[in-house]
Amino acid sequence: MKKASYYVLIAFLFVASASAQNITVNGTVTSSGDGLPLIGVNVKVQNTNTGAVSDFDGNFSISNVVPGAVLEFTYLGFESKELPAQSKMSIALIEDNESLEEIVLIGYGSQRKSDLTGSVSVVSAETLEKLKPIDAAQALQGTTAGVTVSSASGSPGSGFNILIRGVSSNGNNQPLLIVDGYEGNLNSLNPDDIETLTVLKDAQAAIYGIKGANGVILVTTKKGKKNSAPTLTYSTYSGTQETSKKLNYLNASEYAALVNESYAAGGQSLPYTDISGLGEGMDWQDQIFETASMTNHNIGLSGGTENVTYYLGASNLKQDGIIAPEKSKFERSNIKLSLGVDVNDNLKVSTNLNYYAVDRKTINENGLGSVLFNALNYSPLFEIDQEDVNGLFGNEIINPLSQARDTYNSYFGNSIEGNFQIDYKLMEGLTVTTRIGFKTFSDKSKSFAPIATYGAGKVFNNDRSTVSQNKVQNHSYTWEAFAVYKKSFADAHNFALTVGHSAQKFWGDGLFATGFDVPNNSWDFADIALTTGTSEAKSNGSYIYDNRLTSFFGRFQYDYKGKYLISGMVRRDGSSDFTAANRFDQFNSVTAGWKISDESFLKDNSVINFLKLRGSYGTLGNNVGGNLFRAALSGEGVYVFDNALTIGAALGPLPNANATWETAEKTDIGLDIKLFNSKVEIVADYFLEDREDLLIGGLPVSGLLGTSAPGSGSPTVNAGTTRSEGAELLISYNDNISDDLSFGISYNVTKVEGTVTAINGDVPLQGGSFGVGQPAPSRMEVGQPIGYFYGLQSNGIFQSQAEVDAHPSQVGLGNASAPGDIRFVDTNNDGQIDSNDRTFIGKPLADYYMGFNLSLNFKGFDFSAYTYAEVGKDMVRNYERDQPNVNRLDLYLDRWTGAGTSNSVPRATTGATNNKLFSDFFVEDASFIRIQNIQLGYSLPADVISAIGMSKFRIYASVNNAFTFTNYEGFDPAATTGQALGGGIDYGFYPVSRQYLLGLNISF
Amino acid sequence: MKNNKNIFSTILAFAFIATGIYSCSDKFLDEVESYNIDSEGYFNSEDDYYMALIGAYDLLQASYVNVLLGEIASDNTLCGGESATDVIGFQQIDDMTHTQVNNNLRDVWNWMFAGVNRANYILEFKDKIEFEGKEVILGEASFLRAYYNFELLKWFGGIPLKVDQRFAPGDELSIPRSTPAEVYALIESDLKYAVNNLEYVAPQTGRVTKGAAEALLGKAYLYQNKFAEAATVLDNVINNGPYDLALDYATIFENDGENGVESVFEVQYTDAEGAGFGCLQCSEGNVAVGFNSIRNHTGPTYDSGYSFNVPTQATVEVFEEGDSRKEASILDINAWAVSTGATFGEGYEHTGYYNRKYIARKGDLNTGDQNLTNPNNYRSIRFADVLLMAAEANNRGNVDDAKALAYLNRVRERAFGDSTHNVTATGGALTTAIYHERRVELVGEGHRFFDLVRTGEASSSIEGFVTGKHELFPIPIEEIQFSNGNWAQNPNY
Repeated sequence: MKKASYYVLIAFLFVASASAQNITVNGTVTSSGDGLPLIGVNVKVQNTNTGAVSDFDGNFSISNVVPGAVLEFTYLGFESKELPAQSKMSIALIEDNESLEEIVLIGYGSQRKSDLTGSVSVVSAETLEKLKPIDAAQALQGTTAGVTVSSASGSPGSGFNILIRGVSSNGNNQPLLIVDGYEGNLNSLNPDDIETLTVLKDAQAAIYGIKGANGVILVTTKKGKKNSAPTLTYSTYSGTQETSKKLNYLNASEYAALVNESYAAGGQSLPYTDISGLGEGMDWQDQIFETASMTNHNIGLSGGTENVTYYLGASNLKQDGIIAPEKSKFERSNIKLSLGVDVNDNLKVSTNLNYYAVDRKTINENGLGSVLFNALNYSPLFEIDQEDVNGLFGNEIINPLSQARDTYNSYFGNSIEGNFQIDYKLMEGLTVTTRIGFKTFSDKSKSFAPIATYGAGKVFNNDRSTVSQNKVQNHSYTWEAFAVYKKSFADAHNFALTVGHSAQKFWGDGLFATGFDVPNNSWDFADIALTTGTSEAKSNGSYIYDNRLTSFFGRFQYDYKGKYLISGMVRRDGSSDFTAANRFDQFNSVTAGWKISDESFLKDNSVINFLKLRGSYGTLGNNVGGNLFRAALSGEGVYVFDNALTIGAALGPLPNANATWETAEKTDIGLDIKLFNSKVEIVADYFLEDREDLLIGGLPVSGLLGTSAPGSGSPTVNAGTTRSEGAELLISYNDNISDDLSFGISYNVTKVEGTVTAINGDVPLQGGSFGVGQPAPSRMEVGQPIGYFYGLQSNGIFQSQAEVDAHPSQVGLGNASAPGDIRFVDTNNDGQIDSNDRTFIGKPLADYYMGFNLSLNFKGFDFSAYTYAEVGKDMVRNYERDQPNVNRLDLYLDRWTGAGTSNSVPRATTGATNNKLFSDFFVEDASFIRIQNIQLGYSLPADVISAIGMSKFRIYASVNNAFTFTNYEGFDPAATTGQALGGGIDYGFYPVSRQYLLGLNISF
Repeated sequence: MKNNKNIFSTILAFAFIATGIYSCSDKFLDEVESYNIDSEGYFNSEDDYYMALIGAYDLLQASYVNVLLGEIASDNTLCGGESATDVIGFQQIDDMTHTQVNNNLRDVWNWMFAGVNRANYILEFKDKIEFEGKEVILGEASFLRAYYNFELLKWFGGIPLKVDQRFAPGDELSIPRSTPAEVYALIESDLKYAVNNLEYVAPQTGRVTKGAAEALLGKAYLYQNKFAEAATVLDNVINNGPYDLALDYATIFENDGENGVESVFEVQYTDAEGAGFGCLQCSEGNVAVGFNSIRNHTGPTYDSGYSFNVPTQATVEVFEEGDSRKEASILDINAWAVSTGATFGEGYEHTGYYNRKYIARKGDLNTGDQNLTNPNNYRSIRFADVLLMAAEANNRGNVDDAKALAYLNRVRERAFGDSTHNVTATGGALTTAIYHERRVELVGEGHRFFDLVRTGEASSSIEGFVTGKHELFPIPIEEIQFSNGNWAQNPNY
């Protein structure tokens, strides 16, 4: 008995002493910021498999723990902690801002935003949702420093030109657009399907080698998130559009009086004998501008499980034109699918597919004789259906309504694009990706010119109806394979190495044919299948093209504790468009950064949260100049033998076997700052670019070489260099004033100055056109910006004959001057005024581009306003026809009629004067501020709508292009053809429409 | 251990793939598909030569400017147009205020040299292959080269020459302006080759004939005052060629009268192909006709145009009583309107007259741009012109005045319909009569200015004409600049 209890006692003591060695840990984990318990914190005993997870109250319990053993606490978004085990613990974890960091794409890889060493801007889906652009390119306007977006027309479906850091080339200035890894366009994407737009502005883009010189825009489409319930979103908007501007033209009485005065001054008899009862007359702009509608529907479904993410989207957009809406309209449909599957821990497969269909009709625009041009110049005395039977306005101007009525064309296009990608993790730190991206686009178009007469001698008169049909197909694929290896040593040195290969092929063909004599002269029968006539001349044609590119690229990144960062990139490209000797080239770059805010002296600074200095330098290419080495017999050699058109062979443009692409050398220094709890963000960059080997085609060569022959031309040679220098600044302030009220404002400004630094042979290049039969107004010349305007400089109006006599003679311009004529400056001081006195009188590119954006959120209301401005740019007023009987701008009401009546607008006369020659009288300051979007929305509170199963219900109203403040007389100071040489000349740009929209966003 | 194996196999796989890719990449870039015929590898068959010959003929159609300005520069017509600033280049030449900055003179230079190059392209490869009839093609190419060079010589004086090779980039810096004598020498040798290798009847209508080459050669001699040689070769055309004067002068310039018996050489045009202002030299129609036509005409027979090149009252009064050529050559628009009820507009410098030979007629296809696609052929060398040149050569060269009289009177008899208006003078008086005859016979055909210059009558006839300057037109300033000192500008410009 005694022995048994003794043994039990010893056993008990054993057990007691054993358990006295291991403890049970009970603890609570909270967030240090707000003291609230953290759910799901991982607690693990170091070097064992024992652990626990904190519950809803932040409590956890682990038994059998050796006292003093190290416990590891980890939780996503918080800094990990290691503490020795105690039976009772209270742990506060600190939020880790860094791991919640934005990830930014940098081309074949991504980086944390704070680690970026290049100049990169990101536009998020949130901004895209606010701006609701028709084309995603518009979302870059005013929101991204260094980027300007312009359009040659406000007509529905017209494209956009994107310029990153000014114009450096007289050829292609468009940036490279990569969508989910393949080369694509923004116009075929539905903006609602886009997750982010990342703009690489400096040598960071060098990994794209031959195509990176104009900058690179990386588009990521929406993909769905893991472990999220399926979310269905539906959004729609609908509204009306009207023209944003109507020009101030003369009414009937003013017009008749002015025409009478000009005829009298020209010594001709007055055409309008009684002008008293003419009244207002016809306002042709009112006749052709109409209000038009636009609607958009978008539906999307996204979600994901543990291993699969998916996104499905469909949308339809319809937009009618504000000029002749039945003849000018646009419809776009998209279907998108994105699917990502984690097959196992190491293998991930994903695909993105986008189907796009477009249907478009257009009218004749931006040119001599376009619908708008005719509406401006047509007489206000004419009736609505009156044709210019007697040719009162010369040979091009006809009744604009008749012109619109007789415009028949159609355009259908559709494409499928997408990619298929495999990511395989070979081993820890090494991932191999291979992907193939593809795009196939086919379109067909038809245009019908009916038999019509509009008056004597009109160029639009047509004796024989024709229908032209075209079919074009374009295909491309990009196959890439690359490996990324990441390794860290000693928790301080981080390396990453990326190596890869890319092969691209672009190919396509086109077929055109024209049929004659359409039955019944009607659009309903306009098809080549039904035409009955032929022409002696060749009325059909076709082309094919095939371009290929192969490249190797590599990138090396190193950072020390994330504080000192450096990366180097190399890319070697080969293109099929050049001779074997000129086919390959290598592009190198290096970027570096220093996170000053991580240094000890700034680590705990209360004001400066983040301060990074970065710089980059590298070479990139602009892929232009293909196929210039071919000496083709592509010229036109046509004569008439035996009274029949006979086609022969003739030399095409002279070849250049040494043609190569342009190279850009880019340098950038930047500063990223975040202050006051990251409420204030400042990004500043200084950049410098030298562009070499600019391809200059049509470089005037001696007529001796026969380049004026039909179909021939001067060789395109690498003959110019330019330099662009500038700075960007972005300042933004975001804050929550209270729980209900938050706001954000941001301002960005870019200054770019581009000059031409050299042209072989020092010959200025000309481009653009002004008036009829006048020399070219735009020039590219050493020491001046590309495309500057070159013409006569004025200095007031001659008020009297004495002033005319006192001034150097202007006869050299073609006519003697009289009082009331423009006085031109003798810029070369040779005592006479002639074409040698032409000088710089303006430039199409602005000095400063600015964006100012404001957003406010108060309870359920949200308000945003986006404004965009360009300062210091000029435009040429070229929509006036130099003809005695056309209508005019009301600025001519201020003309000179006698001494002292005007010192800016010359006298009205039909006689010959020098006043119509290209001078700064026709160049206007086109600086402007445009409020491009104002939006007010209201979202129903979450508790109200969750009863119906909705997660979001928002209604909103917005006005796009609400106001444009400018002194420019024309329709749109922001419009430009986008050409480097010849841009900024206004033939009557189709104005951008002001849109009043009501919309709805619903999510389930 | 496993890690190392993994790394090793990965690197190996990579290397494999990389080399595979690298070796295919060049082939990948070379396999590009395209449809192109290379210009340096051409001329492999008779057809190739024929095709290139068509290309060389093409630039003849661009010589419309030469015809237009040959009249405007002279005392025959005023520039006209819509207003005083309509085609400033034309206006200045009319007023003799033109300078080296003139787009239209530049067009003449560019387009004629383009023609020279296209002819030289064929002659550059003249020895590449042999085939039956090669001399005919080479003969035509030689004629064309001579034609273009002759135009350039008339307009600008001595020009750079290159024989049987296209001009290459850099030639403007090294090849000097030849003297007029040297240019004539090349023209003569080209035309002699053509004369020796062509027939009086061409294989197709519109192609060069032996007679055309002889006539042009005679013209070239006449311009150099080589009267004896001119007389010989022109007599040959008259005696051996299949040409004669058309019975009715009025029919020569109508559509039905194209390529008629009087046509020694005719530049062919058609209305079958459209044209635009963007490339006037590409037009297959006669652009000058659209420019010459009546402004805003509504009425029978004639189409509208830009009212350039309008004959003056003085020109109308040069015609003698009973000369049928007056009605056929000059349209009195006011009389026309009265008789047919037609209406018309008035352009700048409206004289009431139009160059009836070369204004648009109704009935053509009016292919767009209809003002640029008129099908009127340009009668470059007419038999009447050959007769008058032969008369002048025989007379001024003191070769045979009787023959000169006979030729002159043949032309007059056709014009007046009888022999009562025949000329009987000889010597200097005959010369004057021949000059007068040339004016009334060839009015509106682009020859007047050059006739005045070569006979020394320009300064007394043309207002503003400065002797020692305006005999030649200035070489375009752009060309002077391109030559970088190699070419000197013509005097006093």
